[in-house]
Amino acid sequence: MKALEIDKLRKSYGSTDAVKEISFSIEPGEFFGFLGPNGAGKTTTIKCITGIASFQGGTIKVFGIDVVADYRRARTKIGLAPQDFNVDIFAKASDILWYVAGYYGIPSALRKKRVADALERFDLGSHADKRFEALSGGLKRRLMLARAMVHDPDLLILDEPTAGVDVEMRHDLWRYLQDLNKSGKTVLLTSHYLEEVEMLCNRIAIISGGKIAAIGDKSEFTMGGKKLEQTYLEVTKGVNGNGTK
Amino acid sequence: MAPNSINWIALYTFVARETGRVFRIWIQTLGAPWSSAFLYILIFGFVVGQRIDEISGVPYIDFVLPGLIMMNVMMAAFSHTSFALYIMKWIRSIDELLTAPLSYLEMIAGFMIAGVVRAVVTGIGVYLMAVFFTIATINNFFLALVYIVAISIIFSAAGMLVALWSKNFEQLSLPSIFIITPLTFLGGVFNSIDMMPPTLQWIVRINPFFYFVDGLRCSMVGVCEANAWIGAGIIAGLTLGLGYWVWYLFKIGYKIRE
Repeated sequence: MKALEIDKLRKSYGSTDAVKEISFSIEPGEFFGFLGPNGAGKTTTIKCITGIASFQGGTIKVFGIDVVADYRRARTKIGLAPQDFNVDIFAKASDILWYVAGYYGIPSALRKKRVADALERFDLGSHADKRFEALSGGLKRRLMLARAMVHDPDLLILDEPTAGVDVEMRHDLWRYLQDLNKSGKTVLLTSHYLEEVEMLCNRIAIISGGKIAAIGDKSEFTMGGKKLEQTYLEVTKGVNGNGTK
Repeated sequence: MAPNSINWIALYTFVARETGRVFRIWIQTLGAPWSSAFLYILIFGFVVGQRIDEISGVPYIDFVLPGLIMMNVMMAAFSHTSFALYIMKWIRSIDELLTAPLSYLEMIAGFMIAGVVRAVVTGIGVYLMAVFFTIATINNFFLALVYIVAISIIFSAAGMLVALWSKNFEQLSLPSIFIITPLTFLGGVFNSIDMMPPTLQWIVRINPFFYFVDGLRCSMVGVCEANAWIGAGIIAGLTLGLGYWVWYLFKIGYKIRE
């Protein structure tokens, strides 16, 4: 059973096709990099997986569960750290985690522990009683990660999770994500920091213009001593028709 | 999680979050309607009411009190759900619900229960204020409660529909200014239908708010001007109709899902 299986996903906004019948899958335990230029369809695809966006065609399954037909069960498997802060900005950090854990049906005794663990793990303990709007950009990003993890999902989707995070925290986060992945969690990561993707991911897909332009093991993207960035530029420019490929 | 089972913990969490907000900012959510209701009771009920003859055998203040309670109940339920849902849409914290294993019914129930709680607490507050000025009888407590809860559900659903439809804060405020307030004042809150010119009485009779106010007045002071069965039919129809409409819009993700 695949951790994520997308088959001919099609999503339009009005007359604009954002995602054009893309198909790919992720094996359980993979650390999967999902790359592409701004507006390529990465976030739209993630929104379709997580239920934030509806889609016009195709199917998405998470651990074999259809995200439309059996959406409630599918959502228990997914943790999302979104690119934008979609949160009650007036709520305290600890309350945000408490309520979200509750939405996932976690009983209060266990929830207390999960919230405390998440605050500690992301070094948010001293900020627990601060309102979201009062947190710095990096702290907000960390809280989004803590929120994604508080219900212990099997598939973690991280949409540019290290944007605005300081170098020290970024390195801590990388270690944490690697540990998580080693413990069996599947991770789908989008990032514009290609060295981050190169270091963490074992498979990579590049989406450009709403289509999967390339997909494969990391080694295929870095073959012959190439940097991932070089391959990425070749692929995206080639697809857009404005490059030298 | 079984597909049709209720996620009770999630529902409880959502209701606790929403009702918690009502009490956390109580000056705005409860204090403001209580303050204006106090002034209505003092001026219209007590001061002006002393110069008005009894209506159907009850003092004017007792006649007007159920209308004031119902007016505040309707506004409280409507304000709660319309504002809560619209803000969630606006700052996109609705995504927390959309990505969680909550059914659409659980989401809607969460908003509605909080709306009903706010409306009932508002109504109780208005009633308690009236006790300082009159005996404020309740002939049939159970029936009065049924009316208050049912009307709260209707206005909670209406508030959600407006929140879903609204693109900005201006649109959000339009229905309460141009629909709810006029229908409330033409629904017999401050006057008996007999006080209206005969040529205008039909407007009152086709106004659903008249049946809401009359139902509560009938159960509190025993003055019943409307046909109770028509009122019950309107309340049942609106509860089911608006409830289904909200559920359908949530299901298709109308203006909440991209």
